[in-house]
Amino acid sequence: MFESPLFWPAYLKENVLYVLDETLVPSKLKYIPVKNVKGAVTVIREMKTRAFGQFLVVLNTFMLELNPKGDLLKHLQDVAHQLNNSRPTFPFAEVTGIVIGAAQKAAAGGIDPRLAVAKTVQGFLAGIRARRLQRVQDIADTMQDQDSILTHCNVSGELAMAASLAASQGKRLKFFATETRPYMQGAKLTTWELQEAKATVTLVPDNAIGSLMADRLVNKVIIGSDRSAANGDIANKIGSYQIAVLAKEFNIPLIVLTQPSKGVASGADMPIELRDANELLVFGGKKVFASKVKGFYPGFDVVPHELITKAIAINAGL
Amino acid sequence: MQDYKKSKMNIILECFSRESIILFQGILTAESLKKLKLSRDEHVFVSEGRPSLEAGRKVSAILLNMEITPTVISDNMAGFLFFKGLVKEVNIACQYADNKGALCDTGALILAVLAKKHRVPIKLLAAERRTRFIGDPQTVLSFEGQRMAPKGTHGYVPLVEWVPAKYLK
Repeated sequence: MFESPLFWPAYLKENVLYVLDETLVPSKLKYIPVKNVKGAVTVIREMKTRAFGQFLVVLNTFMLELNPKGDLLKHLQDVAHQLNNSRPTFPFAEVTGIVIGAAQKAAAGGIDPRLAVAKTVQGFLAGIRARRLQRVQDIADTMQDQDSILTHCNVSGELAMAASLAASQGKRLKFFATETRPYMQGAKLTTWELQEAKATVTLVPDNAIGSLMADRLVNKVIIGSDRSAANGDIANKIGSYQIAVLAKEFNIPLIVLTQPSKGVASGADMPIELRDANELLVFGGKKVFASKVKGFYPGFDVVPHELITKAIAINAGL
Repeated sequence: MQDYKKSKMNIILECFSRESIILFQGILTAESLKKLKLSRDEHVFVSEGRPSLEAGRKVSAILLNMEITPTVISDNMAGFLFFKGLVKEVNIACQYADNKGALCDTGALILAVLAKKHRVPIKLLAAERRTRFIGDPQTVLSFEGQRMAPKGTHGYVPLVEWVPAKYLK
């Protein structure tokens, strides 16, 4: 089966974590060497990696930090704290909490916490990979022959792999990708990996989703999610809410790839990241708008569960 | 290290009281904006209007000339403002209107549907006249002259769209 580099965008080799710099795709496939938690926080905060890549970075960072000079447990808790505060919306604490819990339990039982951390991380990664591959099949199953599918931002390889799988089953599909300003993940990542998967993809401005839906150019919407609430609300890349509202208005099913969690009760409890407005107002070092103009850049928005037609869940074992 | 529990978002949102933002979308004429008699204290947000960014640039320039400092958002951010209950009025650029609806700059349908759902009043303002309904597909594949999408990607750029009257009441 075709596997997108975005499906597994970080790997550990000889105590260095190599993280795909997604800001350079599709021009280059370059991996950033990360050697410690400081480097990990930087690649997350600067959005060199995002979505599932963050999950890989968080788990693997503990493997980089197993030999501190001082107290190991205290150090791992500090590592977790730094990762938890790297960006606000992704539920980092739910992931780091598992690793810290395993280390503490091992220490209390007289077992070397290093072994427990390594076993937990490796087991977690193996499990999540198998579950994501299963979800690729689930996504492909929801795709019907002649579907025209709108997607937003990028869902870390799974959509492209599902497209490839569905095509191998004889399904003829078309995709529309929003460009996803200001970081252009749709323009750069989604179009690239769908093309790598030999799928037909058309890029549209973010403001064209109403036209697409009103003109019946799409019959299905598939998006990812960065966080789920206990009531089924999700947080995803900014723009997801208005896509969900329009999809509901035009009776187009909205399918969301989710990671169920009971960490927060509803979307209202999810912190939404506000990023630097210059990421919107400046491009290539040059101002895009007049210098006195201000900008506003929320990184995510919440999609209430009642707007979601179907959630394709993954059980991360959290 | 920043503690996101005291997030910038919360601080910023506290600056805007509920239903305080006036939202503009499309390539509006200076005359139509000046007729609104906006106060300098208004929180005015402008959608950037990809792919040309002409809407964001022109409307911002007109507003600055009126001594109003606009805040630009990308075209996918309006929904967030509605969801937070921050929008008090929407103004969209309209090419033509009759009792069945209005022909507006692309993006208007999103705002009209959101405005209806959130019960926010919407106004049609005169748009700069367009002579084309579909834009060059290449324009969405690049940003400020720099290629974004890989070779072989198709682009689709509708420049205007029909907004049915039911969303404009």
